[in-house]
Amino acid sequence: MIRFILRRALAAVPIGVLVTLGVFALVFAMPGDPLRELAGDKPIPAAVLAAKRAQYHLDDPFIVQYLLSMKDILTGHFGTTFAGADIADQLRLRIPVTLKLTLLANAVQWTLGLFFGIYAGFKRNGWVDRSLLLATLVLLAVPGLVAYFAAQYLFGVELKWFPVSGVLEGFPRSYLLPALVIGVLGFAGLARLLRTSIVETVNADFVKTARAKGLGEQRVLWRHILPNALLPVVTFIGLDLAGMFGGAIITESIFNLPGLGQFMFQAIKLKEGGVVVLLSTLAFISFILINLLIDLLYGVLDPRVRNV
Amino acid sequence: MLASCGDGKSSGSGSGSGSKSEVIAIAADPLEYINPLNENGSPGIQIAMAMFAPLVTTDPETGKLQNVMADSVTPDKTSQTWTIKLKAGNTFQNGQPLTAKDYVDSWNMTAMGSNAWKNNGFFSKVDGYDALNPPTPDGATPKPTAVKTLSGLKQIDDLTFSVKLKVPFSQFGLTLQYLGLAPLPEEVRKNPDAYKRKPIGNGPFKLAADWNAGDDIKLAKWDGYKGPLVPQADEITYRFIANADTAYNEFLAGNVDFVDVPSTKVKSFKTDAPDQWVTSISSGANYLVIPAWDPRFKNPKLRHAFSEAIDRKAFADLVGLSEPAKGLVAPDMAGYRDNACKYCDFDATKAKQLLQEAGGFSGPLNINYNTSSATGQIFAEAIGNMLRQNLGLTVKYTGKQGSEITELADSHKLDGLRFSGWGHDYPSIEDYLTPMFKSNGDANFAQYANPALDAVLAKGDAEPDPEKAIKLYQQAEDIALEDMPLIPLYTKSNAYLHSAKIEPRVSKFVGVSALWATFN
Repeated sequence: MIRFILRRALAAVPIGVLVTLGVFALVFAMPGDPLRELAGDKPIPAAVLAAKRAQYHLDDPFIVQYLLSMKDILTGHFGTTFAGADIADQLRLRIPVTLKLTLLANAVQWTLGLFFGIYAGFKRNGWVDRSLLLATLVLLAVPGLVAYFAAQYLFGVELKWFPVSGVLEGFPRSYLLPALVIGVLGFAGLARLLRTSIVETVNADFVKTARAKGLGEQRVLWRHILPNALLPVVTFIGLDLAGMFGGAIITESIFNLPGLGQFMFQAIKLKEGGVVVLLSTLAFISFILINLLIDLLYGVLDPRVRNV
Repeated sequence: MLASCGDGKSSGSGSGSGSKSEVIAIAADPLEYINPLNENGSPGIQIAMAMFAPLVTTDPETGKLQNVMADSVTPDKTSQTWTIKLKAGNTFQNGQPLTAKDYVDSWNMTAMGSNAWKNNGFFSKVDGYDALNPPTPDGATPKPTAVKTLSGLKQIDDLTFSVKLKVPFSQFGLTLQYLGLAPLPEEVRKNPDAYKRKPIGNGPFKLAADWNAGDDIKLAKWDGYKGPLVPQADEITYRFIANADTAYNEFLAGNVDFVDVPSTKVKSFKTDAPDQWVTSISSGANYLVIPAWDPRFKNPKLRHAFSEAIDRKAFADLVGLSEPAKGLVAPDMAGYRDNACKYCDFDATKAKQLLQEAGGFSGPLNINYNTSSATGQIFAEAIGNMLRQNLGLTVKYTGKQGSEITELADSHKLDGLRFSGWGHDYPSIEDYLTPMFKSNGDANFAQYANPALDAVLAKGDAEPDPEKAIKLYQQAEDIALEDMPLIPLYTKSNAYLHSAKIEPRVSKFVGVSALWATFN
């Protein structure tokens, strides 16, 4: 298993270089001068512009800028943003915010998704199953932006059940409403996937065999159907979780949660290649780690793909 | 004003029932430091206004200049050398007396180009600026210069210093109200980075608690500020909410006392918060920019034809909270004339005739708009449709990032028209005409140059009599309107919501302020 993990980690290195280089190139290719974006409409004196350009290596060629950024990331010298924020401080503040939001949102999404998915899978074409299909279509059609503002207005402004925005009330109260909205918007897809997977597994030969051997319904369900039906779902959950670690840009902005998503958004707005690459690297690492975990989990669920 | 500051004052005792506290929402990312000299953005200057006091300020009632830290500001006969005498007895919030040396040293630090402080540009008018800001070759890091001080800045005694400008400038006294010129005390000047998050000001409020990255800014009244214009509030919290719509919702939920109305709510704020809104007269002026470098637009008659073809009333209604522009300066300026522009009344027949006299316009007309603005494309299409219908032009549209548009324009590569706006830093019509219309002005969007206009501006700058100076600046405005590098479009009001607890100060001259709100 150690060898498997090492092999995966080594394989991740070239991919990581490609990803960060690609992201950096995209930011570099964005039109507009970052320092002008920072200054807004006000003119900046030439001397100030020159000093700032030198400070952030903006006059260097692309590959030099990329290497300098990577060097800063690898040596842990993150420096400051264009706006003067200490990047290490920002990460210390923002990573917990994004983690809390992501975990809470996923908890909501998984609970709802697993519950409704399993239920609908076993009671096919029942009213839960049918409502689930309808709910999936409706929820997929609602743009996140609308849902977030609507929920904020209804539950925050009118009913006052939750804080409107910000993290002043701490965990979990400040994170509940955004997590619920993300969870509710996302659970339907998960539930549908699980339902289909269960329907397929229920009719599989090995389940029939298990029944024919006279195993109890509970044992068939928990030992034979679910582990197999959960395989595609685990992949889905893993990808979903990894994606969220990049930061939920729109959610964090609307609910004023100072997480990685808002940081990423500011950095892209200002064309701050270094920060964008740093955040992409973080997202990439968490993606690789979660994928590794999933592969190990696969082995637990399905001995056939166990990597020893 | 002075009488009211004695009532219900609980001087920092905190949550006493008589304590007047308010929460002001700022729709921006949290600040990373407070240093007025290195700050030119609106959120930073707003906080600086609470913590620092300017030399002079505009009286909100009369619009006249009023001394704050200064005891007198006196120009010489030519308006080239200005002597500033400070009031005795003012101190910083650390107890150190405020002296002329604090101003001179703080200003020298800012004028040093290698420090890269944002208000560096202010001092380009002062004698000796160039020595501190030598030209830097592309890609090189500016080095601290051997000369550390502006030759035009001289301390005369503890409370007096003088500023010698490169050329006479009659409006210099007005520019001194800019908060970006606030002094820093000696301990901060020695190590500005160490005080990024614990500024020491000389204004009505000081930090009430430690201020860490991402935190709201909590301020408490500082009794050492002697006025004039002492705010009523005992405690102010500035809350940073980057999303303006979210800030608006926080207001509706009753969690903040004051918020700017975002552009998305311009049509609905009066019903969302009846009796709890105020509007300012204007927040500057907005224009359509005609590139002066493009020979296709050279003929002034063509520019006037474009101007006559625009239905400003309809356009201002589309923008919301706006009035059609009647000249190049904002309507709340002394010297504003509501009949300045002779080509701004909507007249399609006259427009066609002018276009014909100009020899027509060949090829499609491109209008550039900013893609990061929610309304950029809508406004561009509205203007485009008017030009198309009233002049028979073919119009196309190009959306780009704002910074890219500016960059292309700077290198004369931008094709066609674009939008721009300007708000003054100090209340003088000169602060519209010089930046936008003087050759190589700081904000000369069209890259327009006319020696006749430069000459009139220089005369105005050298004219010590304010009334006569305004007359000269108006002449400059007339020249700019005849050449029309910028077509005046509209002036926009800002709207704000306030809780029942406070009544924001609304002034014809300095706009709306929550800092100086009165408490009900």
